Amino acid sequence: MSLDFPSEAWTAAYKDVLNNDPGYKVAGAPWTAGALTFVVKAEPSIGLKEDVSFILDVHQGVCRDAKISTMEEGAKQPFVITGSYAQWKSVIKKELDPVKAMMQGKLKLKGNLPMIVRNVKAAQSLVENASKIDTHFLDE
Amino acid sequence: MSYDADLSFVFAHTPKVVFGARAADSVGDLVTELGGQRTVIVTDAFLAGQTDLVKRLGKSLGDRLAGVFSGVIPDPTAPSVDEGAAFARERGADLLISLGGGSAIDTGKAMAVVLTEGGKILEHEGYHALTRRLTPHIAVPTTAGTGSEMTLVTVITDPARGQKTFVGSHFLHPDVALLDPTFTTGMPARLTAATGMDAMSHAVEALISTLRQPLSDAAALQAIELIATHLPRALAQPDDLHARGQMLLAACLAGTAFSNAMVSLNHAMAHSLGALHHVHHGTLNAALLPHTMRFFAADVGDRFTRVASALGGATRGLGDEAAARQAADLMQAFVHRVGLTTRLGELGVPAESLPQVAELSLSDGSIIYSPRPVMDPAEIEALLRQAH
Ligand SMILES: NC(=O)c1ccc[n+]([C@@H]2O[C@H](COP(=O)([O-])OP(=O)(O)OC[C@H]3O[C@@H](n4cnc5c(N)ncnc54)[C@H](O)[C@@H]3O)[C@@H](O)[C@H]2O)c1
Ligand SMILES: [Fe+2]
Repeated sequence: MSLDFPSEAWTAAYKDVLNNDPGYKVAGAPWTAGALTFVVKAEPSIGLKEDVSFILDVHQGVCRDAKISTMEEGAKQPFVITGSYAQWKSVIKKELDPVKAMMQGKLKLKGNLPMIVRNVKAAQSLVENASKIDTHFLDE
Repeated sequence: MSYDADLSFVFAHTPKVVFGARAADSVGDLVTELGGQRTVIVTDAFLAGQTDLVKRLGKSLGDRLAGVFSGVIPDPTAPSVDEGAAFARERGADLLISLGGGSAIDTGKAMAVVLTEGGKILEHEGYHALTRRLTPHIAVPTTAGTGSEMTLVTVITDPARGQKTFVGSHFLHPDVALLDPTFTTGMPARLTAATGMDAMSHAVEALISTLRQPLSDAAALQAIELIATHLPRALAQPDDLHARGQMLLAACLAGTAFSNAMVSLNHAMAHSLGALHHVHHGTLNAALLPHTMRFFAADVGDRFTRVASALGGATRGLGDEAAARQAADLMQAFVHRVGLTTRLGELGVPAESLPQVAELSLSDGSIIYSPRPVMDPAEIEALLRQAH
């Protein structure tokens, strides 16, 4: 069954695919810089009435937690990446490279960019795994 | 030289560019246009103490000059920016004029962030996270140059982490880039050559970046031709205002090119070497550039053909890769002609540090735009050994 993006069910599935992927275990191993928050901007025309924040707590190749959070809690994490629904959809469909998108301003980053770039393999693996989830996009 | 069918790009060009010999003597008019009443000049101790440049700006500003912050340091650190911002706030600054090389302009950009958004500069690190206009900023380069007067980033060193970090945003573009060749004639030969080759590296790297696009290419190619002709002239005749002016234009064009198309592996290595060994940024870029060009010779299609022509080569009848190799050889000869080295060893970089440099280069933002993906530290180390 396909899962709505974003939703609690989707983030839970994301945690599972990451922790079941030996590739992510290796690619994510060097990452010790803390949790990432992803903010999807509101898009009332497709039913997304408010901004949604979800926190992905990854550490050394393990996803310790993945959950929808309040905006306040999300903003406290060391990396906060914000984008429109369409941009996130392109990332999940592997049409948009998230690191390049950050440098071009399609996604907005609060946090230390060099840390993300150094871990570009971990970032690629995160995307690869997100693309494995059977996702229902709200505009489809 | 053509583009893929699925080309998609953004080209941003915000600063108003004001060019002309002695144009800076009417900086007061630009301040009026921007509504400035209390201007703080941001510069370093040498330019403030040993040249008449601050005095020239001050004459045009009159009583709208609220103070001179002369605490800019090469490769600006976060504490130096915070100190500058505190100074400007204390003087009630409503407009900044940065005067100097890339270090002064980057400090000015970062101070504008802190003045507008509060807090300390490291609280604002990130990309495209700023949301509104900053304190107005006029950038007056005295080197030619980093092109920072045209770009959307400021590079700040965090001494606590021993690492360079960035704030990048369209709001960081200065409002005005004020290019006055009489402000660059005082540059000693070494600085002229090194900053000129920094601009050359920006242009060459923008041309081969995966984000290259027609508008940045046009700027990059024009910059390369101007530098090839006018850098030797500026060195032979330091007070040649025409040559100095053409070099300022080249640096500005190269800045526009790389602010949109970015730089890649050459800069990633230069940033890493700079952080570890404190050698001047442009000197490092010059030393590395011919080697990097050879490294990518098979990956750049026909894009180096015009680089070879600009440097006096004849590529007719050559295949793309052979033409690219010729361009690299000509670039090496050009670096020597302007009095710089293409050997890292001669710059005091110890061979033992190269593995660490290679490792560090992988975490530099620029590296992801390389014309072919570079992810293996061993590959970078081999290139560095060739350049050593
Ligand atoms: N933001 C960007 O887009 C960007 C791009 C490239 C480089 N940079 C940064 O720029 C910095 C390097 O800038 P730079 O190469 O212009 O050097 P710089 O600003 O560090 O200046 C080097 C020295 O040259 C002196 N100097 C400057 N102009 C002079 C003149 N006209 N006459 C005599 N002496 C003069 C300065 O006093 C200083 O001692 C680095 O920190 C680098 O990270 C930023
Ligand atoms: Fe540079």
